[in-house]
Amino acid sequence: MATTAGHGHAGHDDGAHGAAPAHGRSPLLLSMLLFIGSEVMLFASLFTAYFFIRYGVPNETWPPLKADGEPFELPVVMTLVNTLFLVMSSFTLWWGEQRLAAGDNKGLIRGLWVTIFLGATFLLIQLNEYAHLGFTPQDRAFSGAFYTLTGFHGMHVLVGLIILSMCLRRAYKRDFSTAYHTPLTAGSYYWHFVDIVWVLLFLLVYVI
Amino acid sequence: MDPRPLSYWWGRAVYGAVAGVLFAFLLVFLLRTLFGFEPLWEGGVYGGVAGLIGGIGFLWGIGCFDFWLGWAKGADISVEDHSFHGATNWRHYFRLNTDHKVIGIQYLAMTLFFMLWGGLMALLIRTELAAPGQQFADGETFNGFLSMHATLMIFVFAVPVFGGIANFALPIMLGAKDMAFPRLNALSLWFLPVAGGLFLSSMFTGMFGAAWTAYPPLASQGTMGQTLFELGVQFAGASSIATAINFLATIITMRAPGMTIWRMPILAWATGVTSVLVVFATPFVAGSQFLTMFDRVMGTHFFAPDQGGDVVMYQHIFWFYSHPAVYIMLLPGFGIISEVIATFARKPLFGYRAMAFSLVAIAVLGFGVWAHHMFVSGMAAWLRVPMMITTIIIAIPTGVKMWSWLATLWQGKIHMKTPMLWALGFLFTFLMGGLSGVFLGVVPIDIQVSDTYFVTAHLHYVLYGGTVYTVFAGLYYWFPKMTGKMYSERLGQWHFWLTFVGTQLTFLPMHWQGLQGMPRRVADYDPRFATVNAIETLGSYMLAIATFIFFYNVITSWKSGPKAPWNPWRGKTLEWLVSSPPPIFNFDAIPQVVGGPYQYGIPDARHAVVFAPEEFGGELKEDTRYPVLVVANQTLVSQTLIDEIRSRDADGLWSFQFVVPVGDDDRSIAERRLATTLAILAGHGVAATGRIVEGDVVDVATEAATEAVPHELVLVTLPLTQGAWMRADVVDKIRKATGVPMSHVVVPADDARAITGASTLPMVMVVAGEAVGAEALATAVRARADAAPARFTIVLALDLSEPRWGAEATERRRTAGVAMTATVNALVSTGVAVEGQVMDDAPSVALPLAITAFAPAQIIVAGVNGEADALAGAVQEAAGDTPVEIVDVGTVAGS
Ligand code: HEM
Ligand SMILES: [Cu+2]
Repeated sequence: MATTAGHGHAGHDDGAHGAAPAHGRSPLLLSMLLFIGSEVMLFASLFTAYFFIRYGVPNETWPPLKADGEPFELPVVMTLVNTLFLVMSSFTLWWGEQRLAAGDNKGLIRGLWVTIFLGATFLLIQLNEYAHLGFTPQDRAFSGAFYTLTGFHGMHVLVGLIILSMCLRRAYKRDFSTAYHTPLTAGSYYWHFVDIVWVLLFLLVYVI
Repeated sequence: MDPRPLSYWWGRAVYGAVAGVLFAFLLVFLLRTLFGFEPLWEGGVYGGVAGLIGGIGFLWGIGCFDFWLGWAKGADISVEDHSFHGATNWRHYFRLNTDHKVIGIQYLAMTLFFMLWGGLMALLIRTELAAPGQQFADGETFNGFLSMHATLMIFVFAVPVFGGIANFALPIMLGAKDMAFPRLNALSLWFLPVAGGLFLSSMFTGMFGAAWTAYPPLASQGTMGQTLFELGVQFAGASSIATAINFLATIITMRAPGMTIWRMPILAWATGVTSVLVVFATPFVAGSQFLTMFDRVMGTHFFAPDQGGDVVMYQHIFWFYSHPAVYIMLLPGFGIISEVIATFARKPLFGYRAMAFSLVAIAVLGFGVWAHHMFVSGMAAWLRVPMMITTIIIAIPTGVKMWSWLATLWQGKIHMKTPMLWALGFLFTFLMGGLSGVFLGVVPIDIQVSDTYFVTAHLHYVLYGGTVYTVFAGLYYWFPKMTGKMYSERLGQWHFWLTFVGTQLTFLPMHWQGLQGMPRRVADYDPRFATVNAIETLGSYMLAIATFIFFYNVITSWKSGPKAPWNPWRGKTLEWLVSSPPPIFNFDAIPQVVGGPYQYGIPDARHAVVFAPEEFGGELKEDTRYPVLVVANQTLVSQTLIDEIRSRDADGLWSFQFVVPVGDDDRSIAERRLATTLAILAGHGVAATGRIVEGDVVDVATEAATEAVPHELVLVTLPLTQGAWMRADVVDKIRKATGVPMSHVVVPADDARAITGASTLPMVMVVAGEAVGAEALATAVRARADAAPARFTIVLALDLSEPRWGAEATERRRTAGVAMTATVNALVSTGVAVEGQVMDDAPSVALPLAITAFAPAQIIVAGVNGEADALAGAVQEAAGDTPVEIVDVGTVAGS
């Protein structure tokens, strides 16, 4: 829904009905922030589920035991590296926006490419992790929560990548300028949000 | 306008849905084969994926994504493309539309359709419960009916229905041309039939039976219908969130110049606060349904205690949405009620800011009370008391609202029109629900009555009062604006009273029934509850009849009802300053807001100024005004009529043309009334003209209406039982004959005389002695009135003999009073604004006093039998610069 909504906004952000948007705020950015607020709450509900399960485990050990009696193990180091990729992508995106602000469309395109590359790498590494974890969502309540959280996040990365690719296309068409870049800004809000959620997820699920 | 016919769009929608379902089946089949899942057939999995992809296919087919897909493909598409905007015939209501007004009506039609289905389920429930034992449904079927009833009512009626009303009214009220994102708006709308369709289609796959709350582990079992329920909730939730973001963007960025947040109508506040709730709470219900769905479809173990899962967790997540959700179903209704009560009590809304802040307070507190639904669930015990306290605290801001509404009604000029009836019905019904809610918030009471009919009673009082009554109030209130037609007031009143009595019959006994221990959600019960249940079933049938009347009224009125004027209720907010129905982009030019929205009864107060079309320079044009035809005769010069015209004039849109039909009665009287009326209005700065026409009212009005093409015809008459016009049923006759929007203003008989307080007319003091009571004096005053409109005070000074309390003095006073009354009556009935004053002193004492008191613009001394000079002498000195005219009205015999 994020992507479809994004376009509608883009269209009407330009004042489609001849009504000058009053009060100097961009409806598109505002709605992106609200939408992100809504997404934060979605993750909050999933984290709630995760913590109920986590503190509901009868035995003292954490992580709990799998159905086969072995403890769940998560590849913390590999994921830390992956986390750094994603965090880096936020900075490259920011760098691209800075280039645009300096009037350098080429720089923006370069920044977007690197960001998308980093994001895609993150997704691939994460998928690879799924394949080698050694447990499935059906294993125990914990594994269900783990896959739900990381899976939802992965979907969000995917949506973020789609949004960034659309921005990239528009950047090639020279749609953005120092004066007009609202859709790009909205897309970057979304990307930073996806990023921050991952850092939280990494800390709360993998590390502690 | 897009030329493709309905068959194209709906054909595509069916194609998209069917293709989506088939594709989903194939996909799941292939994947299950590929990964070797056993068994190959798993209804819930297939159903879930099919519902999802089929739903998206439907949305594609109906055209929700065309614009964005075209944009993504780089097709030649313009954001200025309005080919899906607005409705010029009924077909445009049955396809994708981006006009907020059309979407609002589509929303209402769709949600009311689901309400009918939910109502049908309620009737089935009540029929099964009409007597102890099984009538026609076994336990499982009953669960199905109950779940379907609750689910339809909550997710596709009570939550989204306000989206309909706000969609229609809010952008106009804010002075915007549309919502911030019209295409997203359309998408939100079309999510609803997908959600409702998924719920309803479970009737074919085995109905879900875990009620609308869908607690696991019950919801983890059950049929494919349960999966469809979970999916339907997702679509409904997506719809809510998208609309809420849209509303917030509209409220924050699209307000007309001058529309500060403290000038917004309360409906805008209510919608904004509700939208915040939706944005931040709805994801929790989405989360809860994802988890149950994963348990059912993917085999996770969120709610399997033996696998480390936790069922109470579901309840926490679910109620963290569903308690705020009750405010999502109530706050917009509070907004509607605030509009209706202020308008029909003709008073500024009491405590406007308190109203706004209490909305915010309710919303904030609403996030901190969810566990009051879980007092008996086995949750952490320490949560109980804090939740109890926050729950009871919510009663405070709610009480603030209740008292503000009552204070608005206090000493208001209450008009008992249908919307107002619903508003008053709301106050009572919702109060009942609110009180039982405070009971339920108290832990020991809740533990006692949890899961009994007491809860059912509470919830229906809240939802019936807070949602159904407020929606009906809003529907009747804006019906003329939405359709351009008036509904039938008589049927509206029937609808209300039947519903009101029906509600009490159905739900009041449930309190007692619950306290006596009858559990909720059961298909059978102890015979000692037979009588109450029978009464409740009777009440529910009454509700069904009432609803039938409503739909009959809506359909016939829309098709062939009388045309509605722009502003049938004399509302102040912006939607009443545009035509009924409003033009395609609401305003010819952006209006300028200059004051608060509820300044009823404040002379000349304005909420907004509407500008002329851009072709004319886009400026306020005081001179291009739309004609309003006023037809009146005996009621001219009355206070009611003057007030009515002045309140309309505050819109700044009208020029008034009076037409006075005269029959056999005296033409000169009508002329005098008209002249006085026009002079009074001119004194208030109201632009009005008038003429006298001989003939029958109906003919005269019809002819004038054809000539002037007025935007509205205002017919002013005496009450039903007085006056020849009403006896001749002219209201309906004129309505039929002219076909123009019409308002009927009734002037009470005791007001249907020339007014006395017409402060804008010059005051003429008539000093008379023995002439009082004589026809000659009345003739002289009339002659003066015809020369130039004025208001008169006739002063009679009595030179009483001592003692003044003696019998003789008393007798003189009495005869003078009778004579004065005769003169005044003779004058007011012929259209002269006059008062009489009998004073207790000799002219030389009394008259100077009177001159100081009345400060007349002119003095006329009307003497008979040669007394003129003496009277003139008495006023001479006190009169000062005031012109004094002496008229000899001849000789009068006797006295
Ligand atoms: C014709 C009018 C209605 C009738 C006769 C009716 C009747 C009933 C009855 C008898 C039940 C309880 C069934 C049981 O516990 O065994 C019920 C449940 C319910 N009703 Fe209604 N109802 C009506 C209108 C509404 C409306 C307008 C709403 C919401 C806007 C609503 C929402 C609900 C909900 C949410 C439940 C489920 C309560 C629970 O969780 O146990 N009803 N209804
Ligand atoms: Cu609650």
